[in-house]
Amino acid sequence: MIYLDYSATTPVNYDVLESYIRSTRDFSGNPNSIHSLGVKSKALMNSAIKQISDTFNILESEITFTSGATMANNLALIGTSLANMREGNHIIVSKLEHPSIYEICKYLESIGFEISYVNNDEDGLVDFEDLKRKIRPDTILVSICAVNSETGIRQPLKMLRQIIKKENNNTLFHSDMTQALGKVSVNLHDVDLASASAHKIYGPKGIGLLYKNSHVSMTPLLYGSGHVNLLNPGTPPVPLIVAFAKAIRLATTDIDKRENFIRRLNDKIVDDLKKYDGVLINHSKICIPHILNISLMNIKAETFLHALEEHEVYVSTNTACSSGEISTTVMAMYRDAKRASSTLRISLSHLTTTDEINKFLLYFKMVYEKLSFLKKEES
Amino acid sequence: MKKVMILKYAELNTKKANIGLFLKQLKRNLEEKLKKLPVKITYDKGRMFLYMEEEYFKEVLDITQNTFGIHEIMIGYELEERSIETIGDYLKKFIHEKEFETFKVETKRSDKTYPMTSLEISKYLGGVVLKAKQNVKVDVHHPDLTIHIEIRQKDAYIIFDTVKGLGGYPVGTLGKGLLMLSGGIDSPVAGYLAMKRGVKLEAIYFESPPHTSVEAKNKVVQLKNILSQYGSDIKLHVISFTEIQESIYKNIPHEYLITIMRRMMYRISAKIAYQNRCKVLINGESIGQVASQTLTSMSVINEVVKMPVIRPVACFDKLEIIDLAKKIGTYETSILPYEDCCTIFVPEHPVIDPELEKCIQYESKISYEELIQKSIKNETIIKETKNEFEDLL
Repeated sequence: MIYLDYSATTPVNYDVLESYIRSTRDFSGNPNSIHSLGVKSKALMNSAIKQISDTFNILESEITFTSGATMANNLALIGTSLANMREGNHIIVSKLEHPSIYEICKYLESIGFEISYVNNDEDGLVDFEDLKRKIRPDTILVSICAVNSETGIRQPLKMLRQIIKKENNNTLFHSDMTQALGKVSVNLHDVDLASASAHKIYGPKGIGLLYKNSHVSMTPLLYGSGHVNLLNPGTPPVPLIVAFAKAIRLATTDIDKRENFIRRLNDKIVDDLKKYDGVLINHSKICIPHILNISLMNIKAETFLHALEEHEVYVSTNTACSSGEISTTVMAMYRDAKRASSTLRISLSHLTTTDEINKFLLYFKMVYEKLSFLKKEES
Repeated sequence: MKKVMILKYAELNTKKANIGLFLKQLKRNLEEKLKKLPVKITYDKGRMFLYMEEEYFKEVLDITQNTFGIHEIMIGYELEERSIETIGDYLKKFIHEKEFETFKVETKRSDKTYPMTSLEISKYLGGVVLKAKQNVKVDVHHPDLTIHIEIRQKDAYIIFDTVKGLGGYPVGTLGKGLLMLSGGIDSPVAGYLAMKRGVKLEAIYFESPPHTSVEAKNKVVQLKNILSQYGSDIKLHVISFTEIQESIYKNIPHEYLITIMRRMMYRISAKIAYQNRCKVLINGESIGQVASQTLTSMSVINEVVKMPVIRPVACFDKLEIIDLAKKIGTYETSILPYEDCCTIFVPEHPVIDPELEKCIQYESKISYEELIQKSIKNETIIKETKNEFEDLL
């Protein structure tokens, strides 16, 4: 099997799984119980939280565990919008967001908030001037993803923050960092709110986190008991938290070395695929190397994906969460509907080997030739 | 040429013959804290020099900024060739990456045989900068960038960044003290301030299970671990206080509960201190804050021990203590809501002007010496700050 869909999800790291199993087995007490079994679980959980907060140089209380990044995005956008309604009802997002952000925006629109979409240039970089123009006195929130999930465009968060705060110091800045965490270094102090997920960084599925700077006020969307997760109350999933903490530690070590290695793999694929007439590379200088997006100009991407699958090669069309539609990201970058209608995403990992890439390129060629021929017959 | 971190010593100019001891201790403390990082440390009477690869600078800076005995941390470049032309050449190179509109050059020349005076060097190098960079000018009062030049016996240094250190004396240079550590806000701050004056700490904590919980103890362990970051691993003596506290409660008029309880704690602390070669007791008492901290209470309580009791926050307002607790990172832990042995068995009207005679008379009703011996015998010691869950995380 050649798995090249690491941006959809990653296999759980063995050591992370081991921690999950051991903490499930040996720490069965409810961390909210005050007897020693509970205290033991709580101490473990607190150590895990501390490890995460130390990694990002934030306060322990600024972390809320969620079921994943989608839930974190919901809490971030809806929770802050409701809490800041008196300041305004205007929200700005980029055209490069994960579909979950747009779904949340639809909901917010339905209850009276106004959403603006900030433009970007062909590289995918958010248009600073357009952002400045769109920020108003009643703009309460800007949400821009750190790394786009389809083409890997990476936004300069620090600079965006400066622009936003200069225009309106009360505007909050949220970033969906799901595709950035563990791939490139992130600084949570660049934003007021951030979302992330464990299963994208070789952790288990079912846990994500929301970072909320302590000065940000937020209306809870869920109500219950428990002191740890005020915004997501209930019994904290200690084993998932432990596994997440470990996954973060492992994913943020050697991040530069891994990036360099992945960049070489990416270059190799680009060098090969750019030779094909019917293949366009949707990649700009601000894309991270972990994600490579291409457009198949003559072949339906879905067919191509299934044909590759016959050789046990796994890639994706758009993102796993928006399959079937045209790629909003590629559309936002090139404003070319044809180019955006048939895209494939190849996503790489430090686990990917050069041998796998060689084989992938071979299968790609086979499938391409086979399907191009069919295409001709059709016409 | 290599990048270097230069430490200026704090308050050591009053030390003459034994300055060597202070410097050796500072080096030892830094080496201990930096032991996982590849850092080379050298020093002379004026400065300490830390050499490392670029990638470790941030982490090392973080640690040095939290180490006592350092006045300032300067980050710059060490030039082995120190002729004025060479310094000028390097300065030209470095200055290109810097963004500023106004600047000044400040020179310190510890080698007085150098052919130019400090003023002449500053002037010359100011000229170099003006020539190398367009649209910048000199501003000696409020410059965007201050370039420090140091000419020492063998080398010259160009320094662009200076950050403040914590000050104080290197921990360990002034001997050991025993900190009475409760779970509250004040005692960790008191410990921090004592460490700042070079005192190495051990700590004592009184627990009263089942009236107090494991969580209350864990909180104190956590506080101890936070404090340990400023010095070295603090040894925590945990004393089981249940029997003493219950017998006080049963036998003594309740308005005197706290006074007698504190006297017992002092007695035990003094014994533990003596056994562990601690010269003083340190606690977080602040004048007037609660009934046991009026001057009368303090004197009646203090009466049971001979060794000095240092109360670093005695004259601080609560808000000042809170500010400091936040700064040193103990506040969030201190406010966790667990009962400790000072908050259980609290009388409605504790006495604020206790009488010594009464204390002695009341205490005669309980055989406290025996209970004290027993509690000391049963002490548990928590030493290393190692995370017990390390392998899971």
